[in-house]
Amino acid sequence: MSKPWDILRPVQRQIQLAMLLSGTSVVLGLASLALLALVLGHLIQHPHVWPWLPMALATASLATSLLLRLSAFNQSHYAAFRLETILRTNMAQHLAQVSLGHIQQYGAGALAKVMQDDIKALHIFVADSTPLYARATVAPLCTLLILVWLDWRLASGAVAVLLLGLGVLGLAMRNTGPMQRRYNAARERVNAAIVEFVQAMPVVRSFDTGHATFSRYQQALECYRKVLNDWYQQAGFTARYSFAVLNPLPTLIVLLGLGGWLATQGTLNFATWAAVLLLGAGMAEAVMPLMALHNLVARAKLSIGRIQQVMALPALPPPVQARLPASNAIDFESVSFGYGADPLSDDELALCDVTFHAAPGTITALVGSSGAGKTTIARLIPRFWDVNAGSIRIGGTDIRDMTTETLMAQVAFVFQESFLLADSVANNIRLGVPEATMEEVVAAARAAQAHSFIEKLPEGYATPVGERGGLLSGGQRQRITIARALLQNRPILVLDEPTAFADPENEAAVMKALSALMRNKTVMMVTHRLSTIREADQILVLERGQLVENGQHAELVTQSGVYARLWQNHEQAQRWALKRQPAALGDDDAKENKR
Amino acid sequence: MNPTGTDRSPTASWLATWRCLLKTAGGHAAALRNSLLGLLAAAIAQGLALACLFPLFRAVLSTGNAEAALYWLAIMSLLAIAATLLRWRAQGFEYNGQLAAMTHALRTRLGEQLRRMPLERLQDSRTGEMSAVLLGNVDENLNYTLAIANLIMLAVVTPLTVALAALFVDWRLGVMLLLIFPVILPLYGWRRPAMRRGMRQLNQAHRRTSADIVEYLQGLPVLRAACSEGAKAAALHASFQHLETVQTETRRQAAKPDVVVASVVELGLFGVAACGITWVVMGTLDIASLAATLVIIVRFSEPLATFVSYTMMLEMIEAALERIETLLAVAPLPQQTPAALPDTFDIRFEDVSFRYTQAGAPALAGFSAMFPACSMTALVGPSGAGKTTVTRLLMRYADPQQGRITLGGTDLRQIPSEALNGLMSVVFQDVYLFDDSVLANIRMARPEASEDEVRAAAKTAQCLAFIERLPQGWHTRLGEIGDRLSGGERQRISIARALLKNAPIVILDEPTAALDAENELAVQHAIDALVRNRTVIVIAHRLSTIVGADRILVVEDGQLIEQGQHDELLVKAGRYRTLWDAQQTASMRFL
Repeated sequence: MSKPWDILRPVQRQIQLAMLLSGTSVVLGLASLALLALVLGHLIQHPHVWPWLPMALATASLATSLLLRLSAFNQSHYAAFRLETILRTNMAQHLAQVSLGHIQQYGAGALAKVMQDDIKALHIFVADSTPLYARATVAPLCTLLILVWLDWRLASGAVAVLLLGLGVLGLAMRNTGPMQRRYNAARERVNAAIVEFVQAMPVVRSFDTGHATFSRYQQALECYRKVLNDWYQQAGFTARYSFAVLNPLPTLIVLLGLGGWLATQGTLNFATWAAVLLLGAGMAEAVMPLMALHNLVARAKLSIGRIQQVMALPALPPPVQARLPASNAIDFESVSFGYGADPLSDDELALCDVTFHAAPGTITALVGSSGAGKTTIARLIPRFWDVNAGSIRIGGTDIRDMTTETLMAQVAFVFQESFLLADSVANNIRLGVPEATMEEVVAAARAAQAHSFIEKLPEGYATPVGERGGLLSGGQRQRITIARALLQNRPILVLDEPTAFADPENEAAVMKALSALMRNKTVMMVTHRLSTIREADQILVLERGQLVENGQHAELVTQSGVYARLWQNHEQAQRWALKRQPAALGDDDAKENKR
Repeated sequence: MNPTGTDRSPTASWLATWRCLLKTAGGHAAALRNSLLGLLAAAIAQGLALACLFPLFRAVLSTGNAEAALYWLAIMSLLAIAATLLRWRAQGFEYNGQLAAMTHALRTRLGEQLRRMPLERLQDSRTGEMSAVLLGNVDENLNYTLAIANLIMLAVVTPLTVALAALFVDWRLGVMLLLIFPVILPLYGWRRPAMRRGMRQLNQAHRRTSADIVEYLQGLPVLRAACSEGAKAAALHASFQHLETVQTETRRQAAKPDVVVASVVELGLFGVAACGITWVVMGTLDIASLAATLVIIVRFSEPLATFVSYTMMLEMIEAALERIETLLAVAPLPQQTPAALPDTFDIRFEDVSFRYTQAGAPALAGFSAMFPACSMTALVGPSGAGKTTVTRLLMRYADPQQGRITLGGTDLRQIPSEALNGLMSVVFQDVYLFDDSVLANIRMARPEASEDEVRAAAKTAQCLAFIERLPQGWHTRLGEIGDRLSGGERQRISIARALLKNAPIVILDEPTAALDAENELAVQHAIDALVRNRTVIVIAHRLSTIVGADRILVVEDGQLIEQGQHDELLVKAGRYRTLWDAQQTASMRFL
């Protein structure tokens, strides 16, 4: 139990206050009942005197109890809201220090789900269950104390009923773990099937003649129903039984029967009996929420587990002694790196013993087939990951000896997929250089071939670009990110297939923008469009994580090695055109084609 | 949700919900009704059992008649047992799995509806997301139906029964107790609009936070490169703060009616007690009846006061039911009679205009074009021109608002949808592979295909080599190996699927965008095999790939502005020429 409660620590005080208020409210509620009993006693003794004092006190304590209960829930709710903000802020902060590789591996979508949904799921646990816990424990205990004080024989009758119910409830609450896990697994399966079913509907309609997807959906539902049935079957008896025993009637009947018998024996007066009935009938009922609370906590535990897992992602170690680079050269020295769990086993290596030097102000192109390690090299420079062996140096300084700020101040990146914030065009260009003037922004946009289309937008530079830049085309988005990099004006530039998503009519403009950006920079560029890098100062050819060739286009293409093969493929692919139908077109052909 | 919801009186809306619930229950409606009636009977029996306290106390206190007291105690016990048995039986609907069976049947029905519904509605992000959520959660809401019904009946019906019984003991007591109920209902009605408003605001705030979180996490590489991450992500923190403010405010708003309802109920019950005391002091009520009243009403204060929070759950169930009805009400695209099957495959768009439901401007405006059978037609034009809309309409993603599309002379709307789907193979830009084996992913296009046929298709699509390299070969589940397949490999699997389907019409939507050279070449070979002897429609940005097309249609602003073969169009020096020239210069190099 201690683990899930740990997450409450930042708002511990307020939660404790809420529980205290809730407990006090219960005590006052019981007090008002006791006072009502006193009213009855008064009336029995003096039937013609209005019992002002006890009745006024009873009403007052009831009203106070109500107020306390409400403020208990208010406190716990406010605490829960504050906790959400705190946890989200901490998580955003923490993720800013985790290596980008880890974030990519976890998946931005999955992380967002934890940060939004799992933290939100804590609400019921924090806001509703904490005061209820206090209630469900304080109420039966206090009632019991009062009952014992009033009449121990009747108290033991009420306790007997309570135990009869509680025992079964306890049984039901044990062993819910595996069931809960099965239930969650089945639910996840259903959800996956639904996502597949809804997202892939165009493909499903066009190809799924055998209804495989629908039957997968149905299978998931079927399996879910089975789990649900098992659960109901397992819980059915105990749930119904505990409700039957713990509702007020059985206790009331026992107290009536037992009290009546004691009264005929002459050892119980009516006033005490009535007091016991007023207070005691609710004792068993008060523990009923425990069952629901137990399930709530079990559910919250899953979310808490995921939150803690994210918070446990390791942060990049900060440098022992921060140093600055001396120049804009990039050096890879015997760099080995693997994504797998066992990073240095040979078949897991994404990069194996890679060494090269990129002189300041030169263009280095990385080529190779997919999976060769090009993108890995590009991502090691901004420390998406740290290398397993060897070192990466900028201007002679190991990048692990630089603070993130220093490293980022050296390097600008243009990634395959351009990322825009849901903000104005100007602010997107200004990202990272918030102090840039409008003139500087426009100048950067001009150099990035973006000025003319930005001017045509409804509000020019103030036009919002929509979520993830959705209102702009791929090529337009890319030119805005290039303008951003131009404005940032950093000496080293890493480009990861920057033209991959540009539409052809924008391609020329994107290329021109990139040329402007690359001027006088040390450039590392990943690309599969070999024609764009014929003039590169250095071409690094990678194959299965190894640097196999290194040189300029003219030399490499004559070597009949990997590059020569890639170049040939490229030429061929560029020349490819969908072929016209071989036969002449006519009605005869069309008829032949019919089925 | 429901704009009229706020105007309806609570009872009327409950009746509507009740009808809606029975409709949703489908074949289980009778059992559900019986179960709910059982719960009602149990609540009444419970009330009657409690009411036995009146004569019982009288027997003990006023007359001292032990026999009568025992008699009433026995009756009370019998009623309590009856209540328990009735409830036990009624809850069987839930615990014997009928409730689960009911939601199961409902979800199957909803799933079938998704398959019938026009794709436009499904892919509209709002409806699509809603459908997914509905399919995912509908059982969660409906599975509470019985539990909530039980609680509400115990909170309302049981006290009502006692109040009615009290009329026979002392009419004044009965009337006082009955007075409390009319007060609660308007309170509920008063609370509802505020509750809904609060919910709406909260949902909005949550959506905003959610969007900001997604943006932050997806943009983390860029934000970090710009040194704008962590504590510096001002927008994100502002959004967290905003959410907390809205949450706190909503809570504050919601707490107010809660206080009022709880006070009215609990203090109202104390008011009844005070009246009782007065009548006792005046000598018009015996003390036994007062004692019985007190013992009974203190049991009611809790359920009555929390009754309002149950109505929150009721609200959720109601909302779920409404959404189910909306979703089930979406009509499939109409099937015109007489149904007909085309026997040739030339495609004609005749003056077609189409506007997406959410969009302002039409995507196609008076578009007329002809796609001859067994030839290749290319659609070119800037992004947003309407190229993809053409192929979507052809697949009956939606029906055009004006004009018609014919296939071999037959109106698309006359062709049964399964038959129409059977005539076309599509290769999309984004490949969707299912979480199933490679074999199943290819074979799904034609389940009766032999293993040899699947193998042949895979071979033609250049898939054999990499499939055999996979850990379990053909039986490797694609969900498990995730992105171990490259884009080109995934694309080739989708082409193998299309090859196996062997449909007379092939639609290619930018299938070679964003592939590396080696993959691109392999995909190109696969496509060459796919398009042989078929009616092909291809959307291409890279014009060099379609210079050999039999016809090139240039689309701009939803209209056909040029058509012809490559050479003719170049000579014409129109829009196509401009596009072509722009792309020729694009293959420039860096200096």
